[in-house]
Amino acid sequence: MKKGSLSKKDVAHLAKLADLKLTDSEIEEYSGQLSSILDYINQLQEVDTSKVESTHSTIGLTNVYSEDKISDVQKLKSLKHLSVAKRNGKKYFAVKRII
Amino acid sequence: MNRCMESMKDHGLSNQYNPVIGLEIHAELSTRSKMFCQCLADYFGQPPNTHVCPVCLGLPGALPVPNRKAVEWTILLGKALNCKINKITKFDRKHYFYPDLPKGYQISQYDEPIATGGIFQLGKKTFRIRRVHLEEDTGKLIHKGDETLVDFNRSGVPLVEIVTEPDFTNSTDVKAFLEELQTLIRYLEVSDCDMEKGSMRLEPNVSLRKLKSTKMPAYKVEVKNINSFRFAQKAVEYEIKRQTALLQKGETPTQETRGFNETKGITFSQRSKEEEQDYRYFPEPDIPPFVFETKFLEKVEVPELPHEKVERYVSTWKLRREEALLLTRDKKVAQYFERVISKLNQKKPDMVKPVEQTIAKLIVNKKIPIDIAESEFIERALEKRKKHEVDEKILAGVLGKIVEENKKAVEDYRGGKEGAVMFLVGQAMRELKGKADAVVIREKLMKLVRRDQ
Amino acid sequence: MNLHELSIAQLTRLLEGKKTSPEEIYTSFLTRIKEINPKINAYLTVINKPELDYSMRDKPLFGIPYSMKDTYNTKGIRTTAAAKVLDNYISPYDATAYTKLKKAGAVLIGKTNCDAWGHGSSTENSDFGPTKNPWNRDYVPGGSSGGSAASLAADLCSFSIGEDTGGSIRLPASFCSVVGLKPTYGLVSRYGCIAYASSLDTVGPMARSVEDTALVLEVLAGADSCDATTSQSKPPRYSQFLGRKIAGLKMGIPKEYFMKGMDDTVASTIAKAMKDLQKLGVEPVEISLPMTEYAISTYYLIAPSETSSNLARYDGIRFGTTRRSFGAEAKRRIMLGTFTLSHGYYDAYYKKATKVRTLIKNDFENAFKAVDFIIAPASPTPPFKLGEKVDDPLKMYLSDIYLVSVNLAGVPALSVPCGFTGNKLPISFQLIGRHFDETTLLNIGYQYEQVHGIYERPRIK
Repeated sequence: MKKGSLSKKDVAHLAKLADLKLTDSEIEEYSGQLSSILDYINQLQEVDTSKVESTHSTIGLTNVYSEDKISDVQKLKSLKHLSVAKRNGKKYFAVKRII
Repeated sequence: MNRCMESMKDHGLSNQYNPVIGLEIHAELSTRSKMFCQCLADYFGQPPNTHVCPVCLGLPGALPVPNRKAVEWTILLGKALNCKINKITKFDRKHYFYPDLPKGYQISQYDEPIATGGIFQLGKKTFRIRRVHLEEDTGKLIHKGDETLVDFNRSGVPLVEIVTEPDFTNSTDVKAFLEELQTLIRYLEVSDCDMEKGSMRLEPNVSLRKLKSTKMPAYKVEVKNINSFRFAQKAVEYEIKRQTALLQKGETPTQETRGFNETKGITFSQRSKEEEQDYRYFPEPDIPPFVFETKFLEKVEVPELPHEKVERYVSTWKLRREEALLLTRDKKVAQYFERVISKLNQKKPDMVKPVEQTIAKLIVNKKIPIDIAESEFIERALEKRKKHEVDEKILAGVLGKIVEENKKAVEDYRGGKEGAVMFLVGQAMRELKGKADAVVIREKLMKLVRRDQ
Repeated sequence: MNLHELSIAQLTRLLEGKKTSPEEIYTSFLTRIKEINPKINAYLTVINKPELDYSMRDKPLFGIPYSMKDTYNTKGIRTTAAAKVLDNYISPYDATAYTKLKKAGAVLIGKTNCDAWGHGSSTENSDFGPTKNPWNRDYVPGGSSGGSAASLAADLCSFSIGEDTGGSIRLPASFCSVVGLKPTYGLVSRYGCIAYASSLDTVGPMARSVEDTALVLEVLAGADSCDATTSQSKPPRYSQFLGRKIAGLKMGIPKEYFMKGMDDTVASTIAKAMKDLQKLGVEPVEISLPMTEYAISTYYLIAPSETSSNLARYDGIRFGTTRRSFGAEAKRRIMLGTFTLSHGYYDAYYKKATKVRTLIKNDFENAFKAVDFIIAPASPTPPFKLGEKVDDPLKMYLSDIYLVSVNLAGVPALSVPCGFTGNKLPISFQLIGRHFDETTLLNIGYQYEQVHGIYERPRIK
């Protein structure tokens, strides 16, 4: 991929990685739009970051834990409203067979 | 060089290639709750999807909060494997789509794992541990008819991943390592580490390189779906054969993931690693990083490990190595043994030595069960002793006679053949019609023989 | 005055004096919603039968009806993030913000429209049609929390909970002439808020006045064991500090913000607001935020990366529909984010942006050594027309210039109405503060309101 531009092939590859199904016209449209966005974003390359660390969190928290105990507070007591599939009286989630 | 010789001996290879084998082991931690939520972690046998919450189901808006015990136990395991514990560590997101992965990414560790650079001693050999890290488990898939069913009870259970360097050169070492590692992990009481229950999983990766080459091979084959240590050994052996055959034809084995078929004892192609997965790792923004203080790390104490116990039993109590090994495979048995010894030494310090060897034999040979109280065990042991008490004068007489009549065996023993004394013990036991404690006999015979030198 | 025109403080006084009841208040809003909502499409879901709990009578927000952006999980109630993927999703659990408001006695009256998944600055990216600005229905209400701001401005609720990732509370608040607060990152729990960009998302209130905003913030703020990114510090009682004198506080004026690209009316309105603040004793100080020109790029690199990840869970297996239902903007951002995180590009794009983010954060830290707060417009232009920027995503992104730096640095910012254009379109200024210094921002905003007056209402026909 050339820096600052996304070809239709690039976009198709990204769609596959992101599990998105795109039509040919979408691929065409997005490739143009994303290329111009990337082109703008490329201005970041001119910033000197050689002496800088990344920021992943803005308030400097560290060492946050939860205690090892079983709790019902968040537990889902019912799965109603979710896409549950009942098989032999048991509750599963189902997809088309994969293996 | 020793390893090369061994592997050639083991496989009678056409002396062209050396196996280069690494292992990836996963162990489910036996915490009470899951890695990032407080749902029950002990999912085995639970009805499907009965221990789930927004977090482990990956519902919109849910957030992970890391289980402190899981982090501490991973540090413990890292320490037990002689790793460097990284003072700064964090979680990362590993992205791929699969029905058992509810968020579309797994929270794992990428470039800053909890532990790196460890050593595992196996007898006289050492195997390097590349890293130990912490992550979450996926849901379970059941393939039935034209559907695949998903149970998320297991989703989010803490999983420790241990990756070795590719230091293994034969399947025997692989099996021995796995057994010892399993024992070690069980000693730490951080995981059941049970292959049958799925709380231990393993994936060997196998390649071959030309003899005398020190370069890493150009390819690597991962083998999945191995359900026991024995099958791991078989799978490795099969791969070595398969890859050797290809290389001899001038072909390079494909870099890929292969499955193992237990019934046929073969591996088969599953997924080509050529199109390598792009996991798009990036630091998990929902979980702040960890900065471990030295004091905190120092407080994580590694208990006496199985191989350390074996050494101690052999050197301090003069147990035979095989006995020491048997006693230490299950920590509970070893602890019971130690408690019995301790109680015995308190109660009857005037008991005929060697106490430890006698008790060891009783346990190893299952002469007295160990599901009884230690005090009861001791009583039964003493009773057995009484039955075997022979008049000292008679005993001395018999032993003297045995030494007289078996000069060759005595010579052999004095010449360094340790096993010769057992022959003498056997003779004495026959004379005494089994009415003696073999351990005591042996001790006395050894003293006798040495004194006469 | 009608009940639906009163502030929280006024309604609470009436309730305490038994001059009205929660039912009466609720009905007043509900009737108006039925009449007005079809005209502006602020609400996606309206709750016709509220849960009024009289045991909450002594709680601070008892009987006060409010709306929530439809990105908040509310158990048993449809929650869509304004996305087709979640069209029929009934949430099985409550967001912490919702739980806290329930415990404070407040009553949810409906879920509001927004740009789907929070992706947008105008609410035109909603999968359920745009929301219209109550001041002029040819114009956008701003985004992404456009429905929240519009519901409040049109007197369809007493306050609203929005969510700000790159200006999504402040921009619509500005476009609709209501007060909007983006708190410090980590002050309010995100548990149950459908994630857009995890390191930027902030839960925050919109209300008619700064005092009302402070009252709601008091309920929302505080550590949550379900959100590992919340601060453990105990938040202050914000409403207690509104009356402090602000004379002597130093007001930073970023020279980069006032250089070019700003609409003349916006510029003059903000300038007047600055003069008003100076009359209260505030000292203007010119400052520099040199990384400003890189803010949009940094934001539109980090946010899509995180959203491509956060939207990976929408596979249609456990809930919702398949990924085919994603709208165009969502697909664009997912693909952009997938690209910037992908192997071979991560260092040059995502990692680079996180480093520039540090420099942007440092800009603010340096500025706050010299000043106590920073003033800026919320938007370089007044509200724009529906459809005006829809065909050019980049053009839409560029209107966030004064907003995104705040999220990148994690600092708090308060949007306060300060005027109108010639054709009655709202303008607001933004007050930006140090981490966890909402107190100062609310204090200043309150004092400004005392002098300038609280915004007037649109007359919706």
